[in-house]
Amino acid sequence: MLVVEDLYKSFGNIQAVEDVSFEVKKGEVFGLLGPNGAGKSTTISMISTLFPPTKGNIIFEGYNILDNPKKIRNKLGVVPQDIALYPTLSGYENLSFWGNVYGLKGAELKKRINEIADIVGLNGRIKDKVDKYSGGMKRRINIGAALLHKPDLLIMDEPTVGIDPQSRNHILDTVLELNKQGMTIIYTSHYMEEVEYLCSRVCIMDEGKIIASGTQHELVELINGKTQINIKTDKIDESLEECLKNISGVYAIKTMDDIISLYGENVDILLAEIIDKVTKYGRRIESIDVKKPNLESVFLHLTGKALRD
Amino acid sequence: MIILNIIIKDIKIIFSDKKALAIIIIMPLVLMTILSFALKGSFASSDEVINNKVKIAVVKKYDEAKDTEMFKSILKSSFLKTGFEDLESVDLLDELNVEDMFFNDFLDSEEVKKIISYNIEEENKSLEMLDNSDISAIILLPEKYVYDMKMNLLTPFRNKIDIKILTHPDRNIEGQIVKSIVKAYSDAISTIAIGKNVIIEASNLYNIGDGGLEGISDLIEGMTESIQSINIDIDDVMVDGRKSITSGDYYAVAMMTMFILYAASHGGRMLLEEKDNKTYQRMIIGDISEVKVLFGKFFTVFIIAIVQIIIMVIYSSIALKVDWGNLYYVTIISVTAAFSVAGVGAFIASLTFKAGNYKVANIFESAIIQVMSLLGGSFFPIDILPNVIQKLNIISINGIVLKSYLKVIKGHGGTDIINNIILLLIIGVLFTILSVAILKEGRGRLNDKYHKVENVKA
Repeated sequence: MLVVEDLYKSFGNIQAVEDVSFEVKKGEVFGLLGPNGAGKSTTISMISTLFPPTKGNIIFEGYNILDNPKKIRNKLGVVPQDIALYPTLSGYENLSFWGNVYGLKGAELKKRINEIADIVGLNGRIKDKVDKYSGGMKRRINIGAALLHKPDLLIMDEPTVGIDPQSRNHILDTVLELNKQGMTIIYTSHYMEEVEYLCSRVCIMDEGKIIASGTQHELVELINGKTQINIKTDKIDESLEECLKNISGVYAIKTMDDIISLYGENVDILLAEIIDKVTKYGRRIESIDVKKPNLESVFLHLTGKALRD
Repeated sequence: MIILNIIIKDIKIIFSDKKALAIIIIMPLVLMTILSFALKGSFASSDEVINNKVKIAVVKKYDEAKDTEMFKSILKSSFLKTGFEDLESVDLLDELNVEDMFFNDFLDSEEVKKIISYNIEEENKSLEMLDNSDISAIILLPEKYVYDMKMNLLTPFRNKIDIKILTHPDRNIEGQIVKSIVKAYSDAISTIAIGKNVIIEASNLYNIGDGGLEGISDLIEGMTESIQSINIDIDDVMVDGRKSITSGDYYAVAMMTMFILYAASHGGRMLLEEKDNKTYQRMIIGDISEVKVLFGKFFTVFIIAIVQIIIMVIYSSIALKVDWGNLYYVTIISVTAAFSVAGVGAFIASLTFKAGNYKVANIFESAIIQVMSLLGGSFFPIDILPNVIQKLNIISINGIVLKSYLKVIKGHGGTDIINNIILLLIIGVLFTILSVAILKEGRGRLNDKYHKVENVKA
């Protein structure tokens, strides 16, 4: 459905996107995973025809959208990271305007607004002003505005940033439901769990480049079953990190707050040695968490840093 | 169609913004009400003026005896003697009493007395009286006034006579009336002087001699009648003002023309606000071109200005008893004014959008509108400003609109406002074209030209 080929984008001296290529197949939920500043939003802005790449091609259903942006615009729904709505207008007025933008009017528009209100779970509050909504409700109506014209391809840019768990779950379920109905979705996030939950195939980005891509299984295979061990101690310093880093079989180490995350294989042997070293170092272990290989582990493995850095 | 949707949406947003409504609707209504009552004295109607009489002082800076003596001696000089040897013999000098002409025949004539009452005062005292608002104007008859008048009326020469009129700034109407009446007097005297010159030249040409002098004598005899006929001109002065402008009329128009500029300022922010809210980007993704978005803002400003005008015209008609005159002309001025304001609004919107911050809109709001208001007469009538500054009136949209409305209120017709209408249309078209050019020039920031893209694979 969508092919992105050798995409580059620079803003002055800053190379925001470099050599990005991927393909999104019809009917899938495709994930773009990466920390803030990885180039995800720039990539989807180029797909959304907001600005063209410095180099490269974007092919949508056989058409190069750089030559003909209209080919994708009518079939594309975009949920921007920011709440792109008019806060002093009601949810209904907002949906009505964005429906007009996509050519909906009259009874058809009214019917579709009611359907959208149902989908995003705002039926009872649709006539309230958007600035009276909670953060989660704003996110949901922001999604609703992108669904009005029943797009073939929906791009969602970090749609769950800064919202409560209930709204987050609602959004994730909505994404799955839309996908079940046949909508192709590109989902960008720096939340590994969301991408794991939603996406059949994932592209991991960092510093403007794609560092890995494939199905979740293929990505986890990249680290050959390496496990993440999180240890919480009473005190962490650089010398302890250095000491743990020298343990044979530890591939990467990262400290966040009072937790050291180690990443390695043969977890049983490794775990014993880690506990031994920490104890000998005079630190008190408060908790140990062993995580199966996941996308976070893949990212840590490939970049040596955590996704939320 | 989508432009209409953008307009409806923008209008809804503005009407949900209480602060914006206060600035563009409520504030001008409050200000026009306060100013029209506070400055009522500066805009006394001509009817009131006539009923109350305009009090003036006349200052004689000349010495009549000395001037007469000087005139007699100059007549005896050789260069004037030829052809006028018998001038004294026909007693013309006695017949021509310049002071009588001005005071008795002119200021004390029945028609002028209805409007003006005067006292002859010393210069310093009269200035003091003017300062204290005891009088509305001073007529300063210059040095050698009698001598120069006699030279003008009895010899072929034309000496310049500079009658000065000092008026009180708070009594604009009274001042204008005095100026107009004195001008009418000067015109009548000039006509007589020209007639006299024709007679003298004819006498010399045909060697008529005494016959020519008799003609001058007849002319001077007819002066009283001529000067008294100034009353026709005085009537014209009042008619020329048609309907005089009251403070209510003036400040209803002045505040309206000033505050429609705030519609442009408000519209000037809207495009960048859309970009900051990311709704602009969402519209671009929805295949709405930037020019359509801009025209949405243009027509939004146009409609806001029209709504402002309608509200203020209705309010001022009811609350301030303003008679706006011919509603057909008022409608034409209103539409063209709103059009030019919309053009300026679109221009500011493009500049603000391109700059990526609100400095342009802020400067327009806090500085340019104020300067335009000053030059255009929205704060006070510009005729109290120096001439050079008055000429700058042409650069202020509100000034052009204000002049047009005032003309219609006074009762002028379409031919008197057509130039202003054309000027407003030109301003609107020019700024709209500029705004589109700026937006297209600036779109590289958000929507580069796709044909510039290079293909890595190619």
